[in-house]
Amino acid sequence: MKVIGSEAVTRADAVRSRLIDTFSLIDHFRGLSQAVPRHNLREFLDPARQRKLMLGDQHQLVRFSIRPGHNRILFAQRQQCRLRVRCNRWAPISLWAGWVLRKRIFINFVNCLIFLNTIFLMVEIELVNTTNVRMLPIMMALEVGSWFILFIFILEIVLFWLYNFFLFWKSAWNLFDFFVTTLSLLPEIVVLVGVTGESVWLQLLRICRVLRSLKLFARFRQIRVIILALVRALKTMTFLLVLLLIFFYIFALTGVYFFESYSRSDIQDLEYQMYFTDVPNSLVTVFILFTLDHWYALLQDAWRVPALSKAFSSLYVILWLLLGSIIFRNIIVAMMVTNFQAIRNELSEEATHSEMQHKASIFKRQIIKSSGHITPQTSYHSASSLTGDMSQSENLVKTSVPKDLSTPQEYRCELNCLPFRPKYSSTFFLSFSHLPISDSPGLVDWETHVHQNLHGLMEMDQDERVVWPRDSLFRYFELLEKLQYNIEERKQLQEFAVKALINLKDN
Amino acid sequence: MVGTIGIFALPMRKDTECCAYVKRFIEGRVFSVLMISTISLNALCMVLQTNYDIRNYLFLIFEVVEVLFMSVYCFEFCIKLYVDPLGYWKNGYNLLNVVIIIILSVPFYMRKLFGRHYPYLNIGEGIQSLRILKLIPYSRGIRTLITALGQTICTVASVMTLLFLMMFIFAILGFCLFGSTDAGDLNNWGNLAVAFFTLFSLTTVDGWTDLQKDLDERGFTLSRAFTIFFILLGSFVFLSMFVGVMIIHTEDSIKKFEKELEDERHVAVLQEKQNILKKQQEEVSRLMQKGLVEGFKKTLRHSDPMVLEDFCTTLPFIDIYLSTLDNQDNTISKYIEIEDDLGLPKLRGKGKEGEHSRQRKSIERHW
Repeated sequence: MKVIGSEAVTRADAVRSRLIDTFSLIDHFRGLSQAVPRHNLREFLDPARQRKLMLGDQHQLVRFSIRPGHNRILFAQRQQCRLRVRCNRWAPISLWAGWVLRKRIFINFVNCLIFLNTIFLMVEIELVNTTNVRMLPIMMALEVGSWFILFIFILEIVLFWLYNFFLFWKSAWNLFDFFVTTLSLLPEIVVLVGVTGESVWLQLLRICRVLRSLKLFARFRQIRVIILALVRALKTMTFLLVLLLIFFYIFALTGVYFFESYSRSDIQDLEYQMYFTDVPNSLVTVFILFTLDHWYALLQDAWRVPALSKAFSSLYVILWLLLGSIIFRNIIVAMMVTNFQAIRNELSEEATHSEMQHKASIFKRQIIKSSGHITPQTSYHSASSLTGDMSQSENLVKTSVPKDLSTPQEYRCELNCLPFRPKYSSTFFLSFSHLPISDSPGLVDWETHVHQNLHGLMEMDQDERVVWPRDSLFRYFELLEKLQYNIEERKQLQEFAVKALINLKDN
Repeated sequence: MVGTIGIFALPMRKDTECCAYVKRFIEGRVFSVLMISTISLNALCMVLQTNYDIRNYLFLIFEVVEVLFMSVYCFEFCIKLYVDPLGYWKNGYNLLNVVIIIILSVPFYMRKLFGRHYPYLNIGEGIQSLRILKLIPYSRGIRTLITALGQTICTVASVMTLLFLMMFIFAILGFCLFGSTDAGDLNNWGNLAVAFFTLFSLTTVDGWTDLQKDLDERGFTLSRAFTIFFILLGSFVFLSMFVGVMIIHTEDSIKKFEKELEDERHVAVLQEKQNILKKQQEEVSRLMQKGLVEGFKKTLRHSDPMVLEDFCTTLPFIDIYLSTLDNQDNTISKYIEIEDDLGLPKLRGKGKEGEHSRQRKSIERHW
């Protein structure tokens, strides 16, 4: 394992690290362990293979490989495995509560109740002032209905608490639910207790009943997405809003001083005289100017006072209009648009993921096709083709396992790519011109094409595992490392050659 | 000490320790907290000062506090200048500080020079509100926002200039049409300044129907076409174009800014990774000796299967890699052909090429 001069080639180092890691050489040399993990985690999780493993030698090491997956373990699944739930003396209420909360029927039921609540409220408001005796049973029914709905909402919250108390408080939607429900609970209790004389409590009651309809926001996925997008956009714009507030402050304070003579003027029927008297009024006026409402009328009114300097007041108004209303508002629009685009891209992550997978699989097929291209032409590097080495290739078996391991299946050997391998002559002079152009509209060169698709290929979900014989693997890593060094040297030689060519051309 | 700032060369500072200490103080938390609280207090006092009764009642306190604030700002100016006399002027926020100190002293000098009843005194007091802009350098978020949006200033300026030119043309047109004769609308189009205001009012479409009514009363028939045409051009086209241009530039500048931050972080992480890798390599090269490796290799058997999921051991990777190497080989061979054609001295590293192709062959053989 030589080193070129004193510089270490990083890629060679990476290959060596891979070698050491795969074979656990450090542990081996330190004498820490003689065994090497022979099995992967998937073999262990597969029930059929696991049985076979357990029947054999039980003291085997298993290699863990961590890959970020797209399926997440739900809390419900995790809860089923917990000891606290499984070994409970009483019946597992939390499991039942979770099951109820996830049932589609229950969720639809609660959604219908929210709608019903709104309808009851509308009918009640219509009937509240009638003295028609026949309407009284209807009023009673509506009242009872409202109470029932409130009880169901409280029950739902209690169910969630039974399921997992602490998880309830971590989600903002649940907090919103809780807040709305308690807010509507308060006036009900007050009215029930007997402060019925106060009409203000009754009004509050009705208002809070209306708030229950807001619970709808948390339920439907589309509304949630929109609200989340809005909140995120606002969060990124906080500093913009702070800057805007600073400018509001500056112009409000300046306005008080600039328009002092206008505020104190004795001229009769000035329409906007109260607009700049003190800071609160000035703030409101600045906001009015920000919305471009009647600014010219205000300015013309201010000009009627001779003591006011026309230049400064018009400069003030024009500057604020340009800065605040035109520039700032458009910056806010621009930032909102940018944020929404970013949020939309994130939300369509799934779509982009599957698209990338599709591109990667196309790329893979391209590679296989191009490598299988048999070119009878020999070029300058007439390295001997390896037609005779088919026997070695049988050792390499490509297995592709279907994604879900719940149904144990036979391993499929895809031998259809094998016959192409041995004819892998060392030059593909023609094969590159035969590359399918249909996939790349502009004819990019090989390297760019590879770089574009490499990431997708690496992230492919298809679980491909390759079975290597051990000594071949070791030799493979060794050769790969030496190859890196040689490639580095060749690159240097190439640079020299190019320099020589240029020098000779110049001379 | 610093000595004189010569034109040709600045003599070396002899008080490096003091300078370093003051610099640390400036960049520390205490100083920024002090400045932020001072400026906020100043802003609050200015709001309170607008009310005449409060100002009358607490006159003395306000005077004292004013002197205090002025001294704090001058102190900040002095020590920042002390730390870095020449580099001070290169930072935009320091220039802002200097401008604000000048503004601070304006009312005092106005009162001194022009007496108490100068009509423009309230202007001088009005611009004191700019003091709150001193808060911006101490907030990282606003600074990054301004840096990110700073690129859009050029665009804004150019669009503004275009708008101004267009308004100029229409102002002259409007003056000639509606404001030059005695029977014309002198109130709104009498001179160029008023014409500009009228046009600006049309651009922001605020109260334009009243202006149009004035023109209609005077019986100008062309005025409606003029007004509507200008509103379409100025308000709809220009202001919407403004929005569009700003959207594009904001997106670009923010993306660029975030990419810069990302690159910085990436470089730092990469550096750390390199360090860790280097340490690992040293440890391994210490442990590994030739005999041990050979001994280990003898223990490997061909019939032992190893199932791997790493990308570098999968077949697609090998395919791609060898194809790329072949591509490079082709380039070399083409070059050597050129060599042959031009009759250049042969620059083939024979030994290296041979070894290289030998290793490639052995990899292929091991499949």
